[in-house]
Amino acid sequence: MNAFANKVSDKLGEQLMLKQALALTLEKIINKALNLNINDSVELKSLNEKRVTIILDELNSPLSFSVYQQQILVTSFTEYSDCTIITSLKTLKELQKNQQLTELIKQDKLDITGDIKLAQQFANVAQNLTIDWQTELAKHIGDFATYKLTRFGKTLVDKIKFLKNQVQADSSEYIVHEQKLVITKNQLNDFNQQVNNVSEQAEQLMLRLATIEKQLNK
Amino acid sequence: MSTPESSNNQDNSTHFGFKTVDKTAKASMVADVFHSVAKQYDIMNDLMSFGVHRLWKRFTIDASGVRPGNKVLDLAGGTGDLTAKFSKLVGKDGKVILADINSSMLNVGRDKLRDKGLVQNIEYVQANAESLPFDDNTFDIITIAFGLRNVTDKDKALSSMYRVLKPGGRLLVLEFSKPEHELLNKAYDFYSFNILPKMGELVAKDGDSYQYLAESIRMHPDQETLKAMMENAGFEQTSYHNLTGGVVALHKGYKF
Ligand SMILES: C[S@@+](CC[C@H](N)C(=O)[O-])C[C@H]1O[C@@H](n2cnc3c(N)ncnc32)[C@H](O)[C@@H]1O
Repeated sequence: MNAFANKVSDKLGEQLMLKQALALTLEKIINKALNLNINDSVELKSLNEKRVTIILDELNSPLSFSVYQQQILVTSFTEYSDCTIITSLKTLKELQKNQQLTELIKQDKLDITGDIKLAQQFANVAQNLTIDWQTELAKHIGDFATYKLTRFGKTLVDKIKFLKNQVQADSSEYIVHEQKLVITKNQLNDFNQQVNNVSEQAEQLMLRLATIEKQLNK
Repeated sequence: MSTPESSNNQDNSTHFGFKTVDKTAKASMVADVFHSVAKQYDIMNDLMSFGVHRLWKRFTIDASGVRPGNKVLDLAGGTGDLTAKFSKLVGKDGKVILADINSSMLNVGRDKLRDKGLVQNIEYVQANAESLPFDDNTFDIITIAFGLRNVTDKDKALSSMYRVLKPGGRLLVLEFSKPEHELLNKAYDFYSFNILPKMGELVAKDGDSYQYLAESIRMHPDQETLKAMMENAGFEQTSYHNLTGGVVALHKGYKF
């Protein structure tokens, strides 16, 4: 029964692309922090074009970090990595600045396959990033559900407003060139009415989105 | 109305959305659609999919197994979302070729990638998927995202991809597919035929093109049919993953 439940939740996770959503969120947070810390990037430079994979006890999929020109791409690759770190979130939290990973290996808290030097460099880069994970994650995950919907609504409303103005501008132009009019005034009025309807619907949609957002943020 | 694909092999007609048209006419009609949407394409992508296309594309990258030094073909690559990611992942020793039949899409793509500072390992090639202008056994990975449904002769295109793929290489086809549940299917139909073209009208000022997109999605082969078509073209170990309830599916196949 448990295996079945796991399978269902795996399938669901795959369909909802949770791994990818997590990767996208991490990537945003990390690169934002990297951009702020741009001067102590010597170690990041030496990691250029390298891929470090972390397998955490708490997550059922690996996270891969690929460095390219001072930016990090987060993926869930499994097939190839320059170095793989197997550990737990708990251990990562305990990790001290400039701590040697070998210490943790000795304590059986961490395991590495591949180039251990890369792992150490990667850990150092990570340690030097000042990321307030709690706030950042909360911000992005809160965003995640609402971000797309709200932005969708906002863009739609903006576009419609633009269209409304455009139509009004156009129609005054049509009045000037009345003889050339292909569209009758009735048609134009109809069209204006339709635009107004859509516009109202969109504003209602925005209101509903705002309510949903409030509920989600509770 | 004839059934999807049925007319493809028998005569010189094919589908343009729900309309049956002459095969040679389709390519230019598809071209018109993409010429007219090129500029607004990225905005529409976000709007149409609520931004989820970014996750579909990430899923594709994750399944590609790409590594530094690889040679990747992003076919029907349009404005280059996948190319941008691949370019970073293959590094300076690798190469990504963004190929599209449509020059407007390629231009928008090139400008966008340049703005992102991505130049060193990307090439742009105007090409038809049905007859790819590359040597046999050239690429480690080929992706075609939301492109195959626009191609007139899909079997020919799949064979052409097979030819240019290296032995051991893999093809990834990301495409709208058939939602797994009837209810979702209905909701999705409603969305595609009623909302999507209206959005196209309002945002891109081009309802017809988006009506075409909706129709072409419906005419596209379902999961099992596409898998069989890939096998016909020679691909092995073919499989697919449904995403978002089968609204989109990622097909994968290898050449050995
Ligand atoms: C919906 S866009 C997808 C763009 C991009 N791959 C993405 O996912 O955002 C489809 C693209 O397929 C291209 N296309 C259509 N028919 C093609 C063909 N026969 N060969 C190559 N590209 C084609 C169009 O020009 C267009 O850029």
